[in-house]
Amino acid sequence: MSTTTKEIEFILIDQVRLAAHKWIPTEIKGVVFYFHGLQSHGGWLWEVGNLFASNNLAFICIDRRGCGMSEGERQIIPPVNQLLLDYTLAISHCLNKLPKSVPINLFGHCLGGSILAALLNYKGFTIKFDSVVFCSAWLGKLYSTLNEKELEKIRFDKSDELWDAGLHAEDFTSDSRYSVFIDDDTLATRKLVSRSRKHLLDLEEYYLGSNWNCKKPVVFISGTDDTVVDLSSALSVFQDLTAGKGTIVHLPTSKHYLFFTEVKNSLVNWVSYLTVSKGNIHCV
Amino acid sequence: MMLNTSWKNDWSLLKDSFQQDCQFHSNHFKYCLAHPNEVQTTVLEDIIRLGQNSLMWKEENYRLNTVNVDEYRKKIPIKRYADFIPYIEREIDAKGGVLSCSPVMRWLKTSGTTGSAKKVPYTQHWMNHYRVPAIKAMWSTYMHHCPEMLSDPYAVLDMQTVLEEPSEFIKGLAYQSISNRYPRLDKNDWTPPWLNAPWFVSGMPGSHEERMYHRLRFLIGKPLHFISTINPSTLISMWDILLSQQERLINDIHLGTLNGKKLFEPNATLAKQLTSILNTKNISFKDIWPSLSLFSCWVSASAKLYRPLLNKILPGVTQIPFMTCGTEGVVTIPVDESLTSQPLAINQAFYEFVPAEVDMSDVLNPAQSTNTLLFNQLETGKEYHLIMSQANGLYRLATGDIFRVEGFEGNVPRLNFIRRDGIFHSFTGEKLTEDQVTEAISTFSQQNNIDLGLYMCGPKWAHIPRYVLMLETPSDLSVSNDEIAEKIDGCLQKVNIEYASNSTLAIIQYT
Repeated sequence: MSTTTKEIEFILIDQVRLAAHKWIPTEIKGVVFYFHGLQSHGGWLWEVGNLFASNNLAFICIDRRGCGMSEGERQIIPPVNQLLLDYTLAISHCLNKLPKSVPINLFGHCLGGSILAALLNYKGFTIKFDSVVFCSAWLGKLYSTLNEKELEKIRFDKSDELWDAGLHAEDFTSDSRYSVFIDDDTLATRKLVSRSRKHLLDLEEYYLGSNWNCKKPVVFISGTDDTVVDLSSALSVFQDLTAGKGTIVHLPTSKHYLFFTEVKNSLVNWVSYLTVSKGNIHCV
Repeated sequence: MMLNTSWKNDWSLLKDSFQQDCQFHSNHFKYCLAHPNEVQTTVLEDIIRLGQNSLMWKEENYRLNTVNVDEYRKKIPIKRYADFIPYIEREIDAKGGVLSCSPVMRWLKTSGTTGSAKKVPYTQHWMNHYRVPAIKAMWSTYMHHCPEMLSDPYAVLDMQTVLEEPSEFIKGLAYQSISNRYPRLDKNDWTPPWLNAPWFVSGMPGSHEERMYHRLRFLIGKPLHFISTINPSTLISMWDILLSQQERLINDIHLGTLNGKKLFEPNATLAKQLTSILNTKNISFKDIWPSLSLFSCWVSASAKLYRPLLNKILPGVTQIPFMTCGTEGVVTIPVDESLTSQPLAINQAFYEFVPAEVDMSDVLNPAQSTNTLLFNQLETGKEYHLIMSQANGLYRLATGDIFRVEGFEGNVPRLNFIRRDGIFHSFTGEKLTEDQVTEAISTFSQQNNIDLGLYMCGPKWAHIPRYVLMLETPSDLSVSNDEIAEKIDGCLQKVNIEYASNSTLAIIQYT
């Protein structure tokens, strides 16, 4: 009988302990590194982690600096270089304790997708991976929705006031069990200190206009509609980044957080197969 | 619309594997009983393996160099549940990795009989490797004593498990009783052949009375061989509901209905038979189900007070115990019909004991060191506090339960749950316990050949303080209250010396 272990490891980076949530199956056929969004953290993944592990995939989520169980200033988006360094070092640290030869998938959800897109352009990120998933990720959101004046305002904002991200549980899921969880989650990030929003702009600048020329399979997965993300805008950026070679998958839901919808199992199984097969997957 | 009977196909498909699986775990348990030292070491290894990378072990600095019983007892303190609460609160957010390194699948809610309801982590590892195998081993014992239970889809009425849509959640995870096994968590979860039987599924009515009626409606007229429940009061309740709802039941059987819906073939013959049975004096479940040969429920401590009543409603039906367990873990697993003791569930936890006369507050005092006893250091006839380390992250938990060693199964003690620790009352230091009152009433009952039921006892302050006892007695009892009080008072004086020395102060009042 296979057994999944669930560990939380604190990884010290620049004097801050980052929490890595790890679901590790007995037999590891692949690894999925999950980049959480603005609001969520590793505590949202209790079902998904177990599902990936039951497919023999190690599933790891690093709570971003200041989020979830990680230390660091709350309600802050860290500077981009800090953010990318955190993920690079934390992922590298986790990989040291895993088998060397198994395929690696990088999975970014929502803002986590934006962070992942930037990471793929970060020179310090030299970790070999085999597939990439952007899930319900509004790539290039600020640059596609704000005019130059609004962008400038963010760029020069020095205020400590809290900016409300306007996230509503009902946009994430239609299942009351999950929406109650989201509303009650004391570790969730719903507001940002205004001065740190400029780092979101820096993040987008890190990847917008680039072309990865990535030889690995890159997939954009979302619902058929999304109550939080403008999919046509996000997909346009995705197409640019992948030079039209990325795969697009829509699953039958209109909610934003697919893991809290009825497509959860399909998504996990699809990504598991993508990971293990390294993208040798036939989509109809 | 007639009832969908596809559950019978499921029953047929599951029956053989269920039997084999239960047999496997029973054989394994018997092997463990024959190799207890080795098995306790294996359990401790497993507990340490899952614990050593948890946040609690790291932050509390529980570093163990080897799997060594003495080192484990030296490094890890004995704790009460309340001591775990700060880590449990963090585990609620993390759902694995704080107390132990196994995913938490749900939170188990205790009945809260000794305070507010607890939150016990139900981890994947604990479910798959401990809790579910324990049930399977127990059911194998049941099958051994009632082989007919798998002869027909209607042969078992299982009330020890319920399948109810959970109504409470803690940060996304369900918070429910251990007996509620809905939904199934994975393929290793409890899967009896009757999983989809219409009196077992999650769509059953919510109210206790309607649920019980539902069971009766489906099973009357069927070849029932075995009834399993945890608490004997469930059986008494079923009997009461059968009697109070008999007209409705007969009418439903006659019409083939349930709650106004036609789900069955009308059965005038069965309705007539049931009418006839229920019009007879001194009937029992045996008249309803002549095939009934075995029933199971708890039999220890105050549960034994139900015996006279159970003998009336289940005459000639063999009783077999349910495992001794709490939400926090399994302590004994039945291997035979003995109602007085069953062997320690040697493969379920790492167990330690402290003589019952020792004050547990001293044991829990970090400034004092107490040498606990292991399972192979106990003596027959003596009573002990139980300390359990379970593979769900509650290490060296002082359970608050006291057990008496009634004998040995090989080298493994056979235990009888006696009482909760610290549940007593004193006017002048007599420390009168529930167990002592129960024993006195039972002695009186046996000496005078009177069937007594449940009781309630409490102190009453007055110029001369006393205890008040309310006791269920037969309606035709001719003995006076004062006479019963005097006799039970005499029995109490024999079981509690301190009570005897102050007996002028304590008077039993019978109501």
